[in-house]
Amino acid sequence: MQWHDNKENTSEEEEVTVKIRFFARFRELLGTDIVTDVAAGTMFTPLIMTTTRKNPAGYAAIFDENGEFHEFVILMKNGKRIEISDAVKTPVADGDEIAVFPPVAGG
Amino acid sequence: MFSYRELDRYKRQMMLFGEEGQERLKKAHIFIAGAGGLGSPVSIYLAVAGVGTITIVDMDVVDLTNLNRQILHFDRDVGKKKTASAEEKLRELNPDIKINAIDVRIEESNAVKLIGKADGIVDAMDNYPTRYLLNDVAIAKEIPLFHGGIRGFYGQATTIIPGKTPCLKCIFPKAPPKEVFPVVGVTPGIIGTIQANEVIKYLLGSGDLLTGRLFIWDGMQAHSEEICVERNPACEACSGMITKKTPARKKK
Repeated sequence: MQWHDNKENTSEEEEVTVKIRFFARFRELLGTDIVTDVAAGTMFTPLIMTTTRKNPAGYAAIFDENGEFHEFVILMKNGKRIEISDAVKTPVADGDEIAVFPPVAGG
Repeated sequence: MFSYRELDRYKRQMMLFGEEGQERLKKAHIFIAGAGGLGSPVSIYLAVAGVGTITIVDMDVVDLTNLNRQILHFDRDVGKKKTASAEEKLRELNPDIKINAIDVRIEESNAVKLIGKADGIVDAMDNYPTRYLLNDVAIAKEIPLFHGGIRGFYGQATTIIPGKTPCLKCIFPKAPPKEVFPVVGVTPGIIGTIQANEVIKYLLGSGDLLTGRLFIWDGMQAHSEEICVERNPACEACSGMITKKTPARKKK
């Protein structure tokens, strides 16, 4: 898989700025809004992985041991649903707002 | 027709929607699945608003650990069936309506019969398997499902009109893992009140419902937002339904 962490970017590469928003328990673990610059063409899944990797509890809440999204995780890009299976081949674009959340089950 | 007592009881809200609106509430039958954190505010507000028939179903006994949020139940009710406690409180709140409190677990074998001819289902459950079952019945009967869910200071709500809006499975195809969830009573208070507000608007046939919109509440930030949600054409629960162009509304 070809992708770049923002720190690995060289200045010649085109960068895009995206905002990642976590909700509910993900927010408690990872914070509210994360604005990050990534290489143009970065896919959804590696973007979320890179963003969460430094926080093991947050990462484990979203990804399983195989590095796949937990099946209940909901992903949205600019208010539109992205299927988990499509996330790995969905690139993010400049200004995208990405939402990652779990359904809450209590009642 | 209303008694003098009812005319007085509902006077302040009939200023909003008249006797005709009140009549719509009185004729309605709402099924509330759960008499817990969400079911408490939902049933209380629907009862005092004068929804004519309320069926409330729960299989649990009141536990002391419920009392931080399940405001239908009092300290003296610990050990009592939730349905008995709920029936007693709701009758006292409004003796002019019918309350059916049923002490049973909602299952595939009984859900259709339990819900009967109700005009709408309120999801006040604490687990997704039962929610999916309610979703299936709502689709089969073509009646709305008023969804709510909570955890901690967070909550979510949406109104599902089968055939028109995404169903619960379109929005949440997979259940999150089961857990003993942390919660403070104000969260189901807020979300349950939103669900009750949706039911009232739906029955009145006025206002904009939370259809195609997932309302998300973050109590810690005192911030709410909504996310557009769409039907999944491949949804295993509702994809067989034909999309309706006009919003489904309760008939007069």
